[in-house]
Amino acid sequence: MDPSPNPAKEHPADPEPSRLSALLRYEILDTPDEQDFDDFTQLAAYICGTPIALISLLDEHRQWFKSRVGLEVCETPRKISFCTHTIQGDGIFEVQDALTDARFHDNPLVLGAPGIRFYAGAPLTTPDGHNLGTLCVIDRRPRALGQSQRDALVRLSRQVIRLFEERLLARRHAEQAALQQAILDSAASAVLVMNVDGTVARQNPAAQRLFGYEDEELLGRPVSEALFPRDALENQAALLSAEFHQSIEPGFAVLTAPLRRGPQYMREWRLRHRQGGEVPVLLNVSPIHDESGRLRGYLAIAHDLTFQAQLQLRLQQIAAQVPGMLFQFHWHKGDYGSFPYASEGIEQIYGLQPEQVANDMTPILEKVHPDDRPRVSAAIHRAAEQNGAWHLEHRVLHPQRGVIWVEARATPVPQADGSVLWNGLVTDISGRKAQQAELDKQQEMNRRLLEALSEGVVACDAQGNLTLFNDLSRQWHGQGARPVPPEQWAYVYGLYQPDEVTLLAHDQVPLFRALRGEHVRDVEFVVRNGDQVRHVQANGNPLYAPDGTQAGAVVVMHDITERKRIERIQREFVATVSHELRTPLTSISGSLALVCGRVMGDIPPHLQELLDIAYQNSLRLSALINDLLDMDKLSAGKLRFDFRVQALQPQLEQALRSNQGYAERHQVGYRLGGHTDALVRVDPLRLQQVLSNLLSNAVKYSPTGGVVELTSELRDRWVRVSVRDQGPGIAPAFHDRVFQKFAQADSSDARQKGGTGLGLAISKELIERMGGRIGFDTHTEQGACFWFELPRSDLIESTSGEGNK
Amino acid sequence: MKPLQRILHVEDVPAIQVVTRIALERVGGFQVLSCTTGQEALDRAAAFDPDMVLLDAMLPGMDGAETLRRLAGRIDLGRVAVVFLTGDIDAERLEELHQLGAREVLSKPFDPMQLPARLTAIWDAMDDDGTTEG
Repeated sequence: MDPSPNPAKEHPADPEPSRLSALLRYEILDTPDEQDFDDFTQLAAYICGTPIALISLLDEHRQWFKSRVGLEVCETPRKISFCTHTIQGDGIFEVQDALTDARFHDNPLVLGAPGIRFYAGAPLTTPDGHNLGTLCVIDRRPRALGQSQRDALVRLSRQVIRLFEERLLARRHAEQAALQQAILDSAASAVLVMNVDGTVARQNPAAQRLFGYEDEELLGRPVSEALFPRDALENQAALLSAEFHQSIEPGFAVLTAPLRRGPQYMREWRLRHRQGGEVPVLLNVSPIHDESGRLRGYLAIAHDLTFQAQLQLRLQQIAAQVPGMLFQFHWHKGDYGSFPYASEGIEQIYGLQPEQVANDMTPILEKVHPDDRPRVSAAIHRAAEQNGAWHLEHRVLHPQRGVIWVEARATPVPQADGSVLWNGLVTDISGRKAQQAELDKQQEMNRRLLEALSEGVVACDAQGNLTLFNDLSRQWHGQGARPVPPEQWAYVYGLYQPDEVTLLAHDQVPLFRALRGEHVRDVEFVVRNGDQVRHVQANGNPLYAPDGTQAGAVVVMHDITERKRIERIQREFVATVSHELRTPLTSISGSLALVCGRVMGDIPPHLQELLDIAYQNSLRLSALINDLLDMDKLSAGKLRFDFRVQALQPQLEQALRSNQGYAERHQVGYRLGGHTDALVRVDPLRLQQVLSNLLSNAVKYSPTGGVVELTSELRDRWVRVSVRDQGPGIAPAFHDRVFQKFAQADSSDARQKGGTGLGLAISKELIERMGGRIGFDTHTEQGACFWFELPRSDLIESTSGEGNK
Repeated sequence: MKPLQRILHVEDVPAIQVVTRIALERVGGFQVLSCTTGQEALDRAAAFDPDMVLLDAMLPGMDGAETLRRLAGRIDLGRVAVVFLTGDIDAERLEELHQLGAREVLSKPFDPMQLPARLTAIWDAMDDDGTTEG
């Protein structure tokens, strides 16, 4: 090996730094003795016949001996070293007698230990031309090397350098191996190294974890047998045999055969875990060749797909739960779209399989109902351009299910390449559509029903917004639902009291009451619209949502104008007839009163009974007619009251006086109990009428010799007047009807007791008009006790009077 | 304080007129002049010089109120008690009659046996009030 040209010669710059760094690269300074090197120094000393031989390396300040024969010290200062000179040159540097050499005669190594007289050194030159040191021989007496000795020394020095190089290489190999090991150990993917025959040579820890095998269980075994399911291998073998037109064994060949296509082969496999489970992996197989291109084995890298498989499974499970089709739609500029992902639901929605649309959207478009196709297409283009969310309902011609309605929603995710990825969902809304259609039909039916009704219907929501006026109510009110607050309903929609002139207070409006939760029954009022006056009877109810909360209110109005008119005609007829009857009746009963009162002289005894009958019945007829007329006036609201504040007590006394005759005729006594100073605001005539009714009633039902008690008592702000008799009391079955017109406890009583059946009804009406209330106690065993209560004016007057002053 | 004696009675319905007159004469023992119209009452009132005028409020032609108004020029209503007999009457009309000087408004129909006693009571009450000198 020829020494390389010394770089120092080519570079005028100081070569020493690069020489030093070359020396350091070998990492040999200060290492222990080694036999390999000692062999060379021994050999050099032997060949040259010197007592001393050294492998000397020169660093900045010293020469250090890697190997030495015949010398104790392991280093000496560089300044005084002979080797410094050797490394300046290319070949052997020889000093035959140091004492005669001007460069060395005063050298301490010459004058003192080890007493050098002879020196010969061959430089240790690296392949890149650096002289690291020398292989030198030393003697303590002068001499010279022969040619063969010099030659041997040079050859030995080259061997020393080769040893250096080997050392360096070995270390580099070790580093490489360590690096490889580290890479394998820390790789996340499972790595298997296979021998050419397919047996496992090596596995990394990831592989160990993934497949569960210890090294001793796996290494040396055929990988196809250890990890690959037999049926999968057979499947692949069949496919590959067909592809390559030759029989491929269902073994390791299944993994290597595909390499004929290219330098790598990648495929998903479901491998076997040691415990028997399946391990989904993406397996990458590549051949290992040495420098000479010879096949040394195979490298298999397995990416664990368990997580992906789980994700996939999870997606599949989720998708299966989603009613409809989950999809990812990839839209490329132009007219091209595909579905990289479509869930199994695509079968249900379009009658397609995911694979059919994986690369092409056309199959789906073909399933869209022809009438909807242009619309769907346009919507896709528009959404793609605007990059906005997509929402569309359209029909699908499903091969099995016929025409179905679907709803599609998707959100765009713009891609770097300008295409757009849409994530979305298509659901079957046929049911909803059908429900909607059914609902529409129902609503239409309701609407028609409402319009067909002869009732006016008005409704509002829970907030009091008017929501519904059917035709009739619109017609009656002259307008429909408008945003009118409940407080103004009466005013805006012309709602009046039955008297036709007094506007309803807002809390009297039936719809308002129903909105407050009240069930309104048979309320009569008047709807006025211009000149049109309509009497209606209304029922109102709150409306409740399925969860029980109030959703609003509805009122149904029935037109009773005609009924009212007929009632009025009836009333007028009764009034007219009664009025016309009254005058002749007055003369009849008056005449009979006079005759029976013997004003015209004695009555022949045989006429007495008949005259009495005639007289009594004429009185009864008069009373009936009076009551009828009163009732008529009350009903028509025409009975006027002449209110005066009166002391109650004198009124009671007066009533007893007026009815004294009647009581005497029935042999019943009156007793006035209690005494109050209460003042009441009443029409005295009407109060007398009520008292008279109650007293005569009590007398009628009293046993002969009985007592009717009239009492008054204060009750807080009221004064109560009671009329108690000792009669049979009021039968419970009759309680509900006591104050109704023409009600009598027993209709057979009427004749016997001589009542008109209107007295209590009139009394109730009169008392209520005077601000009071009327009722009865129901202790039937103690007789009947009717009572009425009137508000006390004495209280009201005194408080308000003081307040004013 | 003189007792009630002479009553001018105006009633257009003959049957009622008869019944009333008999009641007043036979039961009450009064002197009664029965007239059928307001005009007749006006014509005969001064000559009859009644203590009391008993007027039907609803007379054909000249009604009770008008009759009373015109009577004022012919007899001294200050010492004559005026009592109306009426069927239906509203408060307004009632007030009008009182304004005209009616002592009492009695409702029809009435019990002829009780009527004289009522009229006597009204007459006596007028004396108690001191509105007449007697």
